[in-house]
Amino acid sequence: MRDLIRKLTETYGPSGFEDRIRAVIREEVEPLADEVRVTPLGSLVAVKKGTGGGRRIMLAAHMDEIGVMASHVDDKGFLRFTAIGGVNPLTCVGARVQFEDGTLGVIGVEGKREDRTKAPRLDQLYIDVGATGKDDCPVRVGDAAVFVRPFAVRGTRLIAKAMDDRIGCAVLIETLRRLEGTSNEVYFVFSVQEETTLSGARTAAYGIEPDLAIAVDVTGTGDTPEARPMAVELGKGPAVKVQDRGMIAHPLVRDLLVRAAEAAGVACQMEVLERGTTDAAAMQLVRAGVPSGCLSIPCRYVHTPSEMVDEGDVEGAVKVLVEAVR
Amino acid sequence: METIPLLRELSETPGLAGHEGPIRDLVRRLWSPLVDELREDGLGSLIGTKQGTGPEPRPRLMLAVHMDEIGLRVTGIEKGFLRVTRLGGTDRRVLPGAAVVVHGKKDLPGVVGMRPPHVVPKEQRKKPVPWEELFVDVGLSEEEIRRWVRVGDPISFDRELVELKNGLVAGKALDNRASVAALTLALEELSRTQHAWDVVAVATVQEEVGLYGAATSAYGVKPDLAVAVDVTFGRQPGVSADDSFPLGEGPTISVGPNFHPQVVGRLKAAAEAHEIPYHIEPTPGRSGTDAWAIQVAREGVPTGLISIPLRYMHQPVETVAVKDVERAARLLAAFAAGLEASFRPQWEE
Repeated sequence: MRDLIRKLTETYGPSGFEDRIRAVIREEVEPLADEVRVTPLGSLVAVKKGTGGGRRIMLAAHMDEIGVMASHVDDKGFLRFTAIGGVNPLTCVGARVQFEDGTLGVIGVEGKREDRTKAPRLDQLYIDVGATGKDDCPVRVGDAAVFVRPFAVRGTRLIAKAMDDRIGCAVLIETLRRLEGTSNEVYFVFSVQEETTLSGARTAAYGIEPDLAIAVDVTGTGDTPEARPMAVELGKGPAVKVQDRGMIAHPLVRDLLVRAAEAAGVACQMEVLERGTTDAAAMQLVRAGVPSGCLSIPCRYVHTPSEMVDEGDVEGAVKVLVEAVR
Repeated sequence: METIPLLRELSETPGLAGHEGPIRDLVRRLWSPLVDELREDGLGSLIGTKQGTGPEPRPRLMLAVHMDEIGLRVTGIEKGFLRVTRLGGTDRRVLPGAAVVVHGKKDLPGVVGMRPPHVVPKEQRKKPVPWEELFVDVGLSEEEIRRWVRVGDPISFDRELVELKNGLVAGKALDNRASVAALTLALEELSRTQHAWDVVAVATVQEEVGLYGAATSAYGVKPDLAVAVDVTFGRQPGVSADDSFPLGEGPTISVGPNFHPQVVGRLKAAAEAHEIPYHIEPTPGRSGTDAWAIQVAREGVPTGLISIPLRYMHQPVETVAVKDVERAARLLAAFAAGLEASFRPQWEE
């Protein structure tokens, strides 16, 4: 799975600009699925038809990532930018970003800030793409970029940008690969625009009309120095969501995941996330309502260019998911 | 149609969010000669369909403009004066000195006053007048006013459209009546042009309180593609250049996750082919316009957004350039006419 995770995390795909990552995922799922299609908003849907008589299950991992969008080009060719999704200015200074055409940029900070002991605001930052003026600046207003950082492995820890939520995409692809002999019809959805509006999963769920939906996404941890208290740790297994800021997981889906973990012999953790939410929040409100839950991959440093997960948790998540949808 | 008289009539006609009756009647009168079929949906949005020439089943292009406006609502009657709250995003700083119309059992002219500055302690004079000190005065006694006005009645600004120099007009509710005018002019232009797709013009309700009319009308219309038209921040003192667009340099075309790249591409191509100037408006998340509610209707709708730059948003002196309204109209018509019968938005890889 490491090569797959490397490929997925290093591919460009901010919210609304998912063409490249969709092409990479399509290549992976096409040989494995019975049918592959793209929704009107651009989400990729791979269908694994069951033997019949079962339920229609939707699994969703979002393929978009956070990024930045050029909002202004000045006369010297410096770009001002705005955030696509939850970008923290603390992680921006000195970071490198890459636009869809490959143009690389460096994020700088204005020198004349009043209080330099405080974190800068986004509007005090700019991108330098090496242009000498407006005319030779290859970036136009409205172009989007992602943070650049190579995939790395330290022991059982995997580190990359966009682990949120390419690790969920990897779990879905691997689940699709290993799944066989089920009566259920399983829809593997690689959703767009989770980081901005959850609109990809919401509209895909409308089209699929599932009986049950499970999001696979990252969650925070409480195991780093002076962390906000949270009873989730890296390496202690995938987490079954109970609640986050956007939803309370449906008890049936929550219990289905816990029982699947027991049956698969995988240790799991229960998750209460006090910040953030996932595609599950949007899916559960579609049409007359869809019982929805979330299987989470514990992740440190979420929304920085160095998101860290544990390989054992990832492997455990695949086993739980295969068991749950079987 | 002459643009300025059209803008004048649209701007001066009341139509508060949730109380769109008068403006809907006007739009119905304007659109009925220009479309083949006109209906209202359950929330009150007006939906006009102009049939295309392509083979059936024809794809549908939804063009959406919200027709509601912001204002006030009566929350109490005290000694003949009306206590009020905001209806939509009304800024209380613009209220003292405003002329209004109270839409009770009959329309009553009114004014919003405040205490004379002489009797306001110096410290308080620096701050905007709090809601609890703002009242609408229609001149009637307590007993008389209760015959005509009830708690809940809407109140609109009373403001005639003013022609400024250099082709600018100022008035109330140009957010979003400037776009209603643009769509009306576009329909007029399309009645002289062939178009393969069905064009479904929608004047939506309740945008200012939550995009509700767009959400329900998009569900009902089930479009294959949609373009919303709204207003955006015009360049003015105190608003930075990267957050605003100059008046008179054409409409903006939004770029970002809310918009399908092929819709954006075709809008740009239509503008360039017809020599219509435009600016690109970067929009990193949901747009805060009808385009957002439409995009997530049903299984999702490929959507675009054109915006007319406007100064002094949500104040009764909203200002636009007449030629930007006309350019938005030409762009809409050119885009609609350019959709060939076989075209469907696709995702490229």
